[in-house]
Amino acid sequence: MSKRNDITTPEGYFENLQQRLSEIPARPVRVSTVHRLAPYAAIAASFLVAVMLGNAILRKTAPVSAEDDTWAYVSYLADALDPDGAAMMDLYDYGEEAEEEGLSADDIVNYLLADGISVEHLNYLSYEEGY
Amino acid sequence: MDNAERLFNEIVKEYSERVYWHVRRFVNSHEDADDLVQEIFLKIWTALPSFRGEAQLFTWVYRIATNETLNWLRREKVRSALRFTSIDAEMERRIDSDPFFDGDAADRALSKAVAKLPEKQRQVFILRYYDEMPYEQMSEVLDTSVGALKASYHIAQEKVRSALGKDIFIGSD
Repeated sequence: MSKRNDITTPEGYFENLQQRLSEIPARPVRVSTVHRLAPYAAIAASFLVAVMLGNAILRKTAPVSAEDDTWAYVSYLADALDPDGAAMMDLYDYGEEAEEEGLSADDIVNYLLADGISVEHLNYLSYEEGY
Repeated sequence: MDNAERLFNEIVKEYSERVYWHVRRFVNSHEDADDLVQEIFLKIWTALPSFRGEAQLFTWVYRIATNETLNWLRREKVRSALRFTSIDAEMERRIDSDPFFDGDAADRALSKAVAKLPEKQRQVFILRYYDEMPYEQMSEVLDTSVGALKASYHIAQEKVRSALGKDIFIGSD
């Protein structure tokens, strides 16, 4: 059983590879998708945390009837915390930007991984959803 | 050409082929290995100003290569999970359909058995068996003790042997 001879490359591949790699320093610096998305993710996360905290506090302190709708609280808190909807507009802009820049499923996967989601978590979610 | 560029070109000349073979064993596809090698060298170029020379250049390059390869594998696992397929099945498919695979049935079976090893054991097995890296160097690259690496390689070997049939020789510890 051989070690390296079992896999090969196209003819002249390594000369070509070295040529391509040596051109890297001349390439313009690109900002990765993850870095581009980070500020929007931070805005979304802080907004969500603020809404959830506010909701928890209100539920603890205010008398809640059975008819009360959680979404009414969320809307109320969203208005109170973000009166001009700036955070929501940022998220909306991000959606448009993503569409314009043609972000792919791979970009989303990269983003999910950079954001700390694990395969186990995905599997768990799939299980929870009954897939 | 400045010093950084000169050093980068030396790294390309010295290590690009080794890095390619190392990566190729993980991804089991020439096209993906080619893409990943470019990503690795881009990372090396952007990280070059932070290279202080405390580690050997070889160790530093390999560390970046193994980290980027593991990141690629994790991305691939998520992609497979989103497609409701397993990464093992995807790797088998790649090995079977690789037009640049030139080995016999035993080589193919070995590649498949290695692809099924857990991440860390696969890393150790590839570095030791295919790249023939001494344990001391592996210890620096993977930041793991020599003893732990030997144990890991031994377990990996046993798993591969058991997958192939015990009569096949795949090296000693």
